[in-house]
Amino acid sequence: MEAILPQLLLAAWLLPLLSFVVILLAGARMGEGGRGAGYLATLAVGVSCVLSIIALVWWLGHHPLGGHGGHSEVLTGDWYTLAQFESLRFSVGYYVDSLTLGMFVMVTFIAFWIHVYSFGYMHEELHDVHDPFVTGADGRNLVRPGRFHRFYQYLSLFCFSMLGLVVANNLFMVFAFWELVGICSYFLIGFYVERPSATLASNKAFIVNRVGDFGMIIGLATFLFACGTLHYAMPGNASEHHPGLFSIVKDATNQLQDKNNAASSHEGTPTNVGHEKAGGSSGLETANKIERNRALTPVLLTLAGLALFCGCIGKSAQFPLHVWLPDAMEGPTPVSALIHAATMVAAGVYLVARIYPLLTADALLVVALVGTITLFLAATMAVVATDIKRVLAYSTISQLGYMMLGLGVGGWVAGLFHLFTHAFFKALLFLGSGSVIHACGTNEMPAMGGLWRKMPWTAATMLVGCLAISGAGIPLVIGLSGYYSKDAILAQTFLFHRMNPLFGWMFYVALGVAGVTAFYMFRLWFLVFWGKPRDEHVAHHAHESPRTMVAALVVLAVLSVVSGWTVPGTSWGITSLLEQSRVTPATETGTLQSAVALRIPDEHASHEHTIHAWVSGLAFLAALIGFGIAAVFYGIRWLDPEDVRQRFRGVWELLAQRWYIDQIYDAVFVRNALRLAAVAAWIDRNIIDWLADHAALSVRRLSQWDDWIDRIFVDGAVNALAAGIYDMGIRLRRWQAGKIRVYIMWIVIGIVALFIIGTIYLGIGANISRG
Amino acid sequence: MAGLIFLSAIVFLPALGALILLFFPASAETAIRRITLGITLVVFLMTLRLVFPGDGPAGETLLERSIHDVRFVAGEPGYQHALAVPWIRSFNIEYFLGIDGISLPLVLLTSFLSLLAAAASWSVTKHVKAYSVLFLLLETGMLGVFLALDFFLFYVFWEVMLLPMYFLIGIWGGPRKEYAAIKFFLFTLVGSVLMLIALLMLYFASDVRKLPEEARRQSLLSSEVMVKSLAPGDKPLHTFNLVALAKLGQMPDSPFNEPAWLGKSIAWWAFLLLLVGFLIKVPSVPVHTWLPDAHVEAPTPISMILAGILLKMGGYGIIRICYPICPQGAYELAWFVCGLGVVSMVYGALAAMAQQDFKRLVAYSSVSHMGYVVLGLGAWSLVPGVWDTQYWKMGMNGAMFQMIAHGISSAGMFFMVGVLYDRVHHRDLDKFGGIFGKMPAYTALAIVIFFAALGLPGLCGFIGEVLVIFAAFSYSRVLAIIGASVVILTAGYILWTVRRVYLGAEYRGPHAEALTPLTLREFTVGATLAVAAVVFGVFPQTVFHYMAPSVNRTVDEMAQWMKAVSVNVVESAAEETPEKVRHESTVVLDNLSSEVLEAGSQR
Repeated sequence: MEAILPQLLLAAWLLPLLSFVVILLAGARMGEGGRGAGYLATLAVGVSCVLSIIALVWWLGHHPLGGHGGHSEVLTGDWYTLAQFESLRFSVGYYVDSLTLGMFVMVTFIAFWIHVYSFGYMHEELHDVHDPFVTGADGRNLVRPGRFHRFYQYLSLFCFSMLGLVVANNLFMVFAFWELVGICSYFLIGFYVERPSATLASNKAFIVNRVGDFGMIIGLATFLFACGTLHYAMPGNASEHHPGLFSIVKDATNQLQDKNNAASSHEGTPTNVGHEKAGGSSGLETANKIERNRALTPVLLTLAGLALFCGCIGKSAQFPLHVWLPDAMEGPTPVSALIHAATMVAAGVYLVARIYPLLTADALLVVALVGTITLFLAATMAVVATDIKRVLAYSTISQLGYMMLGLGVGGWVAGLFHLFTHAFFKALLFLGSGSVIHACGTNEMPAMGGLWRKMPWTAATMLVGCLAISGAGIPLVIGLSGYYSKDAILAQTFLFHRMNPLFGWMFYVALGVAGVTAFYMFRLWFLVFWGKPRDEHVAHHAHESPRTMVAALVVLAVLSVVSGWTVPGTSWGITSLLEQSRVTPATETGTLQSAVALRIPDEHASHEHTIHAWVSGLAFLAALIGFGIAAVFYGIRWLDPEDVRQRFRGVWELLAQRWYIDQIYDAVFVRNALRLAAVAAWIDRNIIDWLADHAALSVRRLSQWDDWIDRIFVDGAVNALAAGIYDMGIRLRRWQAGKIRVYIMWIVIGIVALFIIGTIYLGIGANISRG
Repeated sequence: MAGLIFLSAIVFLPALGALILLFFPASAETAIRRITLGITLVVFLMTLRLVFPGDGPAGETLLERSIHDVRFVAGEPGYQHALAVPWIRSFNIEYFLGIDGISLPLVLLTSFLSLLAAAASWSVTKHVKAYSVLFLLLETGMLGVFLALDFFLFYVFWEVMLLPMYFLIGIWGGPRKEYAAIKFFLFTLVGSVLMLIALLMLYFASDVRKLPEEARRQSLLSSEVMVKSLAPGDKPLHTFNLVALAKLGQMPDSPFNEPAWLGKSIAWWAFLLLLVGFLIKVPSVPVHTWLPDAHVEAPTPISMILAGILLKMGGYGIIRICYPICPQGAYELAWFVCGLGVVSMVYGALAAMAQQDFKRLVAYSSVSHMGYVVLGLGAWSLVPGVWDTQYWKMGMNGAMFQMIAHGISSAGMFFMVGVLYDRVHHRDLDKFGGIFGKMPAYTALAIVIFFAALGLPGLCGFIGEVLVIFAAFSYSRVLAIIGASVVILTAGYILWTVRRVYLGAEYRGPHAEALTPLTLREFTVGATLAVAAVVFGVFPQTVFHYMAPSVNRTVDEMAQWMKAVSVNVVESAAEETPEKVRHESTVVLDNLSSEVLEAGSQR
């Protein structure tokens, strides 16, 4: 029976891939302007969604909700092996628990509605497009063929990649799909390839993400080295021989705790798990474990966890790698809604939740800190932004920071709960902004105003979104989805504050930013929909969007309201679904030695009524104040924001320039990298090539010298000899006068001389022989 | 015998074709081109025959099977179709070809890329006949290098490949072709000379008689040498047989352990010389500068061959010759090899980022990507006492896979550059842009190829890079971290290039009117490479299936050598006085970590 679930998910996962391949090959030939591609992609993801829902229902039928977490049910296995070296295996497989299924349903559902919405939003791409943002050399705007089918092609690839990331049962597969969603994001941000700003933004997004991925590779390498596997858990009961990461880390932690307990009676702290136990004689099993855990020290575990978290920082646009997300708004708005709000950017949060058992208390603290810094910085940037999509982008970063904070302080369910609710209301807000942009043709809020008359549906649904993200509700009675999820995070942070006073400020920052959130969201809403039109031209053009777009808005608005609720009469809801697969951090008990004495609170403790009531009230108050200030400035216009801007020019500028982080990165990293590149190229040309050329040249010199030596000495000697003989010949010639008398005289002299010599020689010889 | 003949046919068919082409009139250009393409196609099909599916007659030894069936048996680590026949008797030089999992993928890559390069050669219009003849000779040289199992034969093929390449760059190249050609020639020649020295060193130190009889049989010596080795005699019986040399080198009391010079052994020096010789070919920093020049000047198909195959010979030489024959040198110099690999990765990527010339950029990316190969081959991650070889195997396999992947992606990139160059006759990166709008199919293929080089999952570049980094981590964390940082630089220069060339609104260079869509021939070449990039990226097992057993065998052999050496040290340390041990195995002892001794004493 269990075999059907992986197959359902496999089908749900691969359908978008199939759609991608078909559109890739058939492309523009699918219907008029490639409209068929849109139908196909929408159908594929729709069927995926249905399959995911069936899978979820099937799962809930076998694993009813209501239990407590900690011993979650998991179905895991491999589909396909990419490569294997002895026991090191890299494969594609599934890891299914309620979180996986919840993500599947959420991703496919939102993706389906965004596919539907895009029919309206992207309809211009069905025929030739007149791009007002690109001016050619001849001063006219560019006209290019539409790319409707390309858009859906990328969306399909994205859905496939995102689902692959979610279903993965090992970190290697996660990493592969991590990169793939990154490349989809790259394509979609740079969808308008003719616009330099778009291609620049897509490059930036991918490269900044790669910085995070660099850390992630190190994390993967560390875990692979220390544990010999990257699988979360091994399927079946073959786990004896090759257990998964989770159980290895758990074992190591337990061993360490045992040792710590032992060490408290002895002195000193052990540094190496494996080494210490090497002398032990508990048999082969221990020996195996030791070999596996040979390097898994607490410090290494923390570092490895943080290295993986680097990837999450990049993907979820956390400080300090948040810089790419605002620029990513260059892409079409449905893309911003799907990828840069609801799903892909949440992948970082998802991964932190997945690898929760691998994170030590220290690592979790870093997660929480990063989250806190991010949620604060991004919210401040949102306050002054005027581009409607950028406000939402900063808001997304800030909300992702909340999720990280929630996870970091031990709120596994809280953080993920916010992931789900945020996906709905932020997708809604983006689609709403898309509807506005579609109507106005501009992103700048100062040019809008008073649009609610023209676009009532958009205005109303956007208002729901704003209320949801602000956490509106009647405290302790009922509220919109954001009310529940944000409160859960704040409550958990409050508990963390109680247990670790040193980090109490995180709670106050999070609380304060809840107010800021309400402020900037309502600032947006008032600026766009309230008051009088500020630009006649824009207002004149504005119109309500087509039905496909409005339908998506309404559906998401409904979900933004209800997704925090439980099914009436039961306790079924997103929280109880997540609760089923809740994992406790490996080090929750806090006995692991950490840099600071940390205690990660248990999640259930934060459900206590008194805490909840307090936090709920405070959050409500903060949001109310934020709303009030927004209303005062932008709603009833009792105060003029321009005054504030003048008075606090420095601060305003700092925020508008995003704390100058982009500029700092450019000056420190980008320029220096380019400088270094120039140096490398210079070394090549001027040192290495110089050496090579001069080596060759000196050989040539040498051969020239050789040639010279040849000519001067060797040839010289020969020539000199020849010349000498010649000279002698010349000199001898004087004697050849050609006169017979002289010859005869010489002959006579010669004969006489020979005779004399001969006589003397022979005579002496005869004397010698005789005597 | 059938196997040997088949392999010989593969090697010499292109040369035969070159000979036939000589009889053609130089004016019959189309015919010559078609015949060249046809011959490369036949060679490709023949190499494909090696991996034809299905099982051959079972239950026989590999040698017997090779008589009936030319198929390559996957999963078999040893040499197949390996048969040695005497060639130059007085020096025991054998004509010895054979194929195993390491050479098979490279042979297929060679025939595959040669075919594509021949198809891409239509753009060459000067002296077509001479070009084709040299091209085919080059193919013979390349195939011979990958199939030769006799060191001397290997060397001969190595040199055979060098000359056609020199002329192909020097005659059909760009404006600075003479400089580039002579630079290529001299760098490679230096490598050859170093190799020659090492070859002679090893030859004169070798002695088949020192091998146990079993090992002699496994070395597949020709029967003549075998008989000689069995005959009594005190004169050492030298050999060029690579298998026998490896067996000799891996003996604990290897004749190559004799000290040679400066207190280092023959194995150490031979390894260093061979390594430098091969690294020039790879190429590794700092002996890489011939590559950008050669690439920039070479015509497109020759660039494809150069990047796709010639560079792989360096890596192949390292894994086939350096490591098995001189494990001791390899062990001692592992840090050097890995360090060079990492430096090449970083340096190549940085230099690529600074280039203005499209082709130069691609050339430097080759330097960077081949750095992964060197790092993966060099990471001797075996820890004495633990003997866990899996990370090492992962690294070696990753490096070998990276060679194949780079063969696809770099050949593809050069082809893509060539397509543009053929149209607009310039390569200035700042004078492109907007190609996407004008040549959409071409751009799609180019982006696939470039992203394969970027190491995108699902494309071929990813697997090799990641495996190498993972493996390097268990050798040296610092090197792995530096190496991993290259992914950022790679993304930087590739995306920047894609943006400057393909994206944007307008083409900014000359000859805009020449930017016509791909011809069918161009599309076929490009699409084939793109499909190959996807197939190897999604199904890496297609390569590992054949490759891994042989690579693992190489690793296991070296692990065994290391075990034997360290056990020898430990045992003799227990039996004999320390002074004597030191005297006997000076080099070995000094370099094995104290951990071995600890482990041994515990035992």
